[in-house]
Amino acid sequence: MPDDRELLDTGASAQLLGDRFPGMAAMDEHVVAMQSEKLDSDDVLLKRPFGFLFWFALVWIAIVFLAAIFANLLPLQNPNFQNYSALSQGPSSAHLLGTDDLGRDLLARLIFGARVSLIVGFFGVGIGLIVGGTAGLISGYKGGRLDVALNAGSFIILAFPAIVAVIAIVTFWGQSLVHITIILGVATIPLMFRVIRASSLSFAQRDFVVAAKTMGATDTRIVLREIFPNVIPVTVTFSLITVAGIIVIEGTLAFLGLSVNLPTPSWGNLINEGTANNALSTDPYIMLWPAMSMFLLLWSINLIGDRLRQRFDIREGLL
Amino acid sequence: MSKYLVRRVLQLIVVSFVISVLAFLLVHLLPGDPSTIILGPNNTAANRATLLEQLGLNDPLWQQYLTWLGAVFHGNLGTSYLNHESVTHILATGAPVDLELIIISQTIAFSVAVPLALLVSRRPNRPLDNVATTSTFGMLALPPFVVAPILVAIFAVGLGWFPATGYVPFTQNPATNIHDMILPSVAITAGSIAVYFRLLRSDLISTLQQDFITMARSKGLSGRRIMWRHAFRPSSFSLLAAAGINIGALIAGTFVVELLFAIPGIGYSLVLAVNQRDYLVVQGIALVVAIAYVTIQFIIDFIFTIVDPRVVRE
Amino acid sequence: MTKSNDMSRRTFLSRGAVAGGAVVLAGAAGSALAGCSSDSTSSSTTAASGSKPGVGTGTPVQGGSLTVGNMADIDGFYPPNNHFDTNGYNIALTIYDTLCGVAADGSTQPNLCESITPNSTFDGWTMKLRSGIKFNDGSDLTAAVIVANYQALNASLLTGQALTQIASVTATDSMTVQYKLTAPNPGFPNGLTTQVGMVFGQAMIDAVKGGNARPTPVGTGPFIFESWQPNDHFTATRNPSYWRKGLPYLDKITFKPIPDTVQREATLKTGGVDMLVSTDPLTIKRFSDKPDYQVVDTLTGVIGEPSVAFIMLNTVVPPTDDIRIRQALAKGLDQATVQKIFGAGYGEPLDGIFLPDSPYYKKTSYPTFDPAGAKKLVAQYKAEHGTPKLELITITDPRLAQVVQIIQQMWNQVGFEVTISQIQQANLVSNFVSGKFQAATSYQFGNVTPDLNYVWWSTTTAKPVGQIALNFARNVDPIIEENMLTARHTADTATRTKAYQTVNEQLAKDLPYLWLQQYLFSAVAVSRVQNFANPTLPSGAPAYAFNEGIFSSTAIWLSK
Repeated sequence: MPDDRELLDTGASAQLLGDRFPGMAAMDEHVVAMQSEKLDSDDVLLKRPFGFLFWFALVWIAIVFLAAIFANLLPLQNPNFQNYSALSQGPSSAHLLGTDDLGRDLLARLIFGARVSLIVGFFGVGIGLIVGGTAGLISGYKGGRLDVALNAGSFIILAFPAIVAVIAIVTFWGQSLVHITIILGVATIPLMFRVIRASSLSFAQRDFVVAAKTMGATDTRIVLREIFPNVIPVTVTFSLITVAGIIVIEGTLAFLGLSVNLPTPSWGNLINEGTANNALSTDPYIMLWPAMSMFLLLWSINLIGDRLRQRFDIREGLL
Repeated sequence: MSKYLVRRVLQLIVVSFVISVLAFLLVHLLPGDPSTIILGPNNTAANRATLLEQLGLNDPLWQQYLTWLGAVFHGNLGTSYLNHESVTHILATGAPVDLELIIISQTIAFSVAVPLALLVSRRPNRPLDNVATTSTFGMLALPPFVVAPILVAIFAVGLGWFPATGYVPFTQNPATNIHDMILPSVAITAGSIAVYFRLLRSDLISTLQQDFITMARSKGLSGRRIMWRHAFRPSSFSLLAAAGINIGALIAGTFVVELLFAIPGIGYSLVLAVNQRDYLVVQGIALVVAIAYVTIQFIIDFIFTIVDPRVVRE
Repeated sequence: MTKSNDMSRRTFLSRGAVAGGAVVLAGAAGSALAGCSSDSTSSSTTAASGSKPGVGTGTPVQGGSLTVGNMADIDGFYPPNNHFDTNGYNIALTIYDTLCGVAADGSTQPNLCESITPNSTFDGWTMKLRSGIKFNDGSDLTAAVIVANYQALNASLLTGQALTQIASVTATDSMTVQYKLTAPNPGFPNGLTTQVGMVFGQAMIDAVKGGNARPTPVGTGPFIFESWQPNDHFTATRNPSYWRKGLPYLDKITFKPIPDTVQREATLKTGGVDMLVSTDPLTIKRFSDKPDYQVVDTLTGVIGEPSVAFIMLNTVVPPTDDIRIRQALAKGLDQATVQKIFGAGYGEPLDGIFLPDSPYYKKTSYPTFDPAGAKKLVAQYKAEHGTPKLELITITDPRLAQVVQIIQQMWNQVGFEVTISQIQQANLVSNFVSGKFQAATSYQFGNVTPDLNYVWWSTTTAKPVGQIALNFARNVDPIIEENMLTARHTADTATRTKAYQTVNEQLAKDLPYLWLQQYLFSAVAVSRVQNFANPTLPSGAPAYAFNEGIFSSTAIWLSK
């Protein structure tokens, strides 16, 4: 039985892609395939309302962001103040979420910690987008030597043992929120590059782009007007997953002592503190609050992404 | 075909070379040198100078690098400054450990993610899908250093089904070896499950919406056949590609699990070597890890060319 | 989850590696140093039978295999090429014997050697070896081997410094060794209880000369090396011709390095190891009340000085070069709180390097917790130089992370601006050596005699920042120097006592170290592990039971 898939001929793109890193190309090519398809207007999913979960997720995200931004204005206790007569206490009226092993209020630490995690996550990915995304956008469209070189470069970064690089850079540079954000941001650059390049590449061969070129549009105009808007959906989806990934990785960095300076809270090092010294057995709630918050945030972000895509006829992307 | 192979081998050489230079520079530019650790309380200016001379660390950097590179071409990766173990031996004993960790963990990940995705993609956003999506996100939010103590508390100390730490070589006792590796492997699997599940689910959902599926259905093909033969196969590409990246990240990223479960893998050796400025060990491991990564990518790409006839090999 | 960074294989800030001299009078039992004390804060557990933990009851049983969970791995077995920390000693002492040993009453007694006697001026020592002892490769233990050992140790970059007070070592006959010292030292034999007193076979020396950096261990010890897989395990089997008849009882001993404390404890609970060693006070707390386990710790029975955890201040860089700042830091630090959290309630406030039951103990003028006084001093400083800013560095250890955050808050409350940095162990040590730090966590000074700490406090080892110096704090105090040397060279107990009390008082005045509490070692074993803290010397006298985490495997047996 012939593979009916061959009805959809994206052969041209396969040709272009096949000569560079075919494996990665196949993934890229998938992105291509996704975006080349006709939309199915009879899809039942399109017509569904957003639903309760969507709004719940939206509200949670809003709460987290607002709390993080306006933490100073909220009636919170000092997140770093250690109260030695209130060590490791469970939730109470004095401390709504309890206290940690040094007697610090967990609610305050959670909210201030959101700040660090969100900054690291979103700005980190921001760096990846700006550098890697732009490079990928241009590189996918232009192709040629530049593309091969950038591609090889991203491959090299991915093949280098990350932990060695992080240890070395933090040793040189010291721990600080800015440094950590930049390090993690730089780590996402090759990932952003790959994904956006693939997307850009796929659109670069589309008829409307070819047409624009024939009509004499400059490269800049084509990239900005034709390609960029189409690249957005995949970019958004992938970026959100990467935000999730970075926030979690920050926790592992905290475990290795490579994250922000103590005593600054972040969800990652709250989880780390809640796991260390056998606290999981004695006071599991210390780890529970940041882990749950992180989980809810990741889940919310992705749910929103999912629903938006369905609602606005955007095909479920690669991720 | 041979041209393709040549290109890939060239790529392997270039990438490995660049990475070896990077690793060399990075670790040599770190402040301090092995003398602090080696000499201990015997650290005097004179002793340090002598020691550095003996270790060849007074030569200019480019010379040290070339000396090392030359040795590598003769198959000699050097020895540790601290315990004099040969780097080759470190890799030979540590690599199988990590390989096993990765194989078991990825097996678990695929065994969970693939059936789950197949199951839920036909009815997205129904309760089963929501539960699956939620739980996989839960796993994503728990990094290995959290999962490990939880697993140990429940399954080792609590139920006594598994040991809390330790490693038995496969050649010594295969059954015990695999049994003891289960908790560590599960600890690093969580993230992979989530990523694979999300990828495959998303791919399957869109694939299932395509015309050719409708056509297959209208032809009267059974759901299962559609799923497996027509939907899964094309959807598996991104999964494979993601696995490639993921596995690459796991190589030498197993440090946390090795530390907690006292498993003698190369992740732990690598981090220890960086911290102790054991230059040759760092360089040797970084080089081999890079080669392994590129080779794995090569293999995955090759699988692609077999699986997807549209991907043209030049 | 105390990662073993404190006791990593290359931690030289630990015991015994510097055997520059000693104070214990050979043969003067019970004089200088106290033996066990009955400190009321001890945490001894009673094993089910009601016996003392670590002390075996009933008849020793021959046979069995013991597995011990270590904190970190050893780096190698050739004494001239390694620094043994607690973990290293525990492993090395299975395959090597030291020439001398420390008795429970604090005196240094012959161990592998038969006797060691000084001349009248204490600058020449005659050592007689026991006859008939063979290494595990069949070669004889002769004076020539001892001389060869010394030459190898002396030539090594790693151990040579420890032997500078020895002018020559000669074999006067096949079983007699003559040591000539550069200066009188009544306590010379004490150095021979440490790493540089471990006796290794000629075959190892020859192998290393031939280019083999990892020679197979050849020793006279109770066990014979079987296998070593770095970071995995070390195994040794019973030496059937051990020169101490009837010993050891065990057939086999295995060490497994498990860096994470909680995981190590879990391994003990699941039976993966029979015994563990720990430096986390919480280990003591977690196992103290469990009848199935025996807990031995250094809260009691310390001979000499205990290891102490402290904050080290750099006395030559601002702001810690100002004595008012150091006093303010001391006054602003509440030891009680630190002990409550870090020490899990174990340990007493320290005012110096000696515990109250030490014969050298005398209350010092070390500042007590006085936040008001601290604020005044800081205000004074601030008026002249602005707010004092301080970077407090530590290693990436979750227990120390707690400590530094507590201390940061205390110091901030009296007017400092303190930032915390966590760095890798190797970097920390490097910073100490080069003097690039202001305040840092550390633990040290655990030794059977204060003399072994000379190198850390001497004016001769203090160098400017940027140069290598073992007096990390760079505290140049001629009074300390003078008194350390007086104590070393004198045979008179009273003089020595006074000298060390002066040193202790000077440390309290100079404040290069802010004492936190005793750094506690513990060993936890399941009930069937008998007699792991009850070793004897060849003479039959009880030996130092638990030397800062070091235990003897010779007399351990496993009950049925």
